[in-house]
Amino acid sequence: MFDLVSNLWLGFSVAATPTNIMLALIGALVGTLIGVLPGIGSLATIAMLLPITFGLPPVGALIMLAGIYYGAQYGGSTTSILVNIPGESSSVVTCLDGHQMAKQGRAGPALAISAIGSFFAGCCATVLVAALGAPLTAAALLFGPAEYFSLMCLGLIFAVVLARGSILKALTMILAGLLTSMIGSDLETGAERMTWGVPELSDGIGFVVVGMGMFGFGEILRNLEMKMSRDILDTKISGLMPTLKDLKDSAGAIGRGTIVGSCLGILPGGGAIIASFAAYTFEKRISKHPEQFGRGSIQGVAAPESANNAAAQTSFIPLLTLGIPPNPVMALMVGAMTIHGIVPGPQVMTKQPELFWGMIASMWIGNAMLIVINLPMVGVWVRLLRVPYRHLFPMITIFCCIGIYSVNNAPFDVFLTAIYAIVGYWLAKHDFEPAPMILGFVLGPLMEENLRRAMLIARGDATVFLTRPISATLLAISAIMLTLAILPQIRGKREEVFTE
Amino acid sequence: MSDVASGGTTNSPQVYPRYDFYGGLTLAVLAVILFATSFLPNTPVPLVVRGSIIVFGALSLAVAFSLLPVKNQQDFYGGMGLILLSLTAFVASNDLPGMRGFAFGPGTAPRLFALSLTILSIGVVVGGLLTTGPKITGYNLRAIIFILGAILAFAASIRPLGLVIATFSTTIICAAATTDIKWRETVIWAAILTAFCTFLFPYGLNLPFQLWPRFF
Repeated sequence: MFDLVSNLWLGFSVAATPTNIMLALIGALVGTLIGVLPGIGSLATIAMLLPITFGLPPVGALIMLAGIYYGAQYGGSTTSILVNIPGESSSVVTCLDGHQMAKQGRAGPALAISAIGSFFAGCCATVLVAALGAPLTAAALLFGPAEYFSLMCLGLIFAVVLARGSILKALTMILAGLLTSMIGSDLETGAERMTWGVPELSDGIGFVVVGMGMFGFGEILRNLEMKMSRDILDTKISGLMPTLKDLKDSAGAIGRGTIVGSCLGILPGGGAIIASFAAYTFEKRISKHPEQFGRGSIQGVAAPESANNAAAQTSFIPLLTLGIPPNPVMALMVGAMTIHGIVPGPQVMTKQPELFWGMIASMWIGNAMLIVINLPMVGVWVRLLRVPYRHLFPMITIFCCIGIYSVNNAPFDVFLTAIYAIVGYWLAKHDFEPAPMILGFVLGPLMEENLRRAMLIARGDATVFLTRPISATLLAISAIMLTLAILPQIRGKREEVFTE
Repeated sequence: MSDVASGGTTNSPQVYPRYDFYGGLTLAVLAVILFATSFLPNTPVPLVVRGSIIVFGALSLAVAFSLLPVKNQQDFYGGMGLILLSLTAFVASNDLPGMRGFAFGPGTAPRLFALSLTILSIGVVVGGLLTTGPKITGYNLRAIIFILGAILAFAASIRPLGLVIATFSTTIICAAATTDIKWRETVIWAAILTAFCTFLFPYGLNLPFQLWPRFF
């Protein structure tokens, strides 16, 4: 307990320097901005802004990037409530009840409750990250190559189970990601693998390239197919403050949403999107008045909004303690850390405590700033929505191009991104989810390395994954999850969750 | 993150009556190219891989000439594309040494992943032949051409022509991707973006960018 306090104190002393507060503010503002704007996700933004962080100290860079991620969760809810367009995919469910509340003239309380819920969830998640950090890091030291491999399997299986649509297709996406991550030099022998003699490929394909191509550009291509309808609510937002009754009604939902969100955020393969869906469904199940959901129920706003913020923050736990990115956004954070010479994993906490705790403390500061800056600025954000998409996408394109180019100063990377853009579009056309692929792509080299080591240590005995207890448990959980997902009955329920 | 635009409605989707013909033919051509490349590696490509490529090509032709009805285009072509990817990986990793004793060689993991991908993708393809599903509709060719054109233009021009010209031309090409383009607005917007990028990246962030064309 004393350790926790002294660690947090160290964190706040790092995060509260004027520069870092400024960076957290910039991150939170940019995050809110892209959260408000539909058609640009937090993944593409973080990729786009990577070059901006080159000149910053590592702590500052990560504080800013983290701010973008959780800031986007706030911004996304604003548009969901006011315009019925989810600015961020994690706030899709907020549309259901949030927009209904707005139509009934209760936009103010809806916005306030979502902000308060997010803030509460953010605070709890921060404490959770801080509390779980040390024990999980200790647990990580017990992990050998076999355990790491099994843990990554578990993460990938979670990504499959929680993805929408066909399980089989999600599995193929993971394998496609693993396979393409093998391109480049072999780590142990230095042999060129599947490069077709192209020297630019010998370093492998960067995942900024894959992420930006499939999510940044791929999303533009998909959006241009749609005609966006934007009926902006023109009624004045009056009475921002929720009544005491609103607060009382939503208190339970906020608490439960936070718990659901925190759990799903920690799990590999989870993340903010799934957390918000799960929290909404859970809240509807246990509610005494489930018929009110979808008709402007305040619990229907409070639960998913708390959950997505909690999940956005707890998903840093596996990254910071085990070095395993649980979702594509965290995978990009690995990229950001690598650029600054930090190897994510248990050693971060012991070797760079100021980085670890500084980042955690900054999350709390960032959340506090978001609640202060966001509510008065609702009007500004809504006005931003009037920017037509035909102005938005050239801007996104050019920032993405410059961003990719500046990572390695390589025009070839930009060219590769174009290929991935068309791959992402093609996959979307054939109803394949890109998220499992990028997760597989990021975990591929790590998985291969640990698989090779485990096999070498066990002298070629593949049963090592089943004889070591931790590894066997992890694999058993993966197997159970997969079986449950394939069973048709459960699948029916799963579909229901996502079509609601 | 694909559901960002779920508030919108699609433009009347275009159905392609001869999709199977062109789709099957494209896959067959790609199979022939892959078969030809399979003679490039120094060590001969195993017969199983070559045989699979031939079967793959035959299947594609059967679809192209409607000998085999495709019931679910999304699953069928998606699965076929992934099989092609793994077959390509088998050819590409052919020269890499495999297991040495109980140690993995550089080629072991790629072939392991490629094999699993092939097996699962066959499952997807079979599903595409047996179950009915939605047809593939409405490729937005205009968007594909101009967005990809813009990215490639940037890649080609950033080194020789510098940031200013690259940014300006990329923005203009990119803006042509929608049908509701307004040229005067676009030029002004491109100029603003160019000015912004010129100041932000080289001056604001100190990134090494060359601004103007290199004269000899």
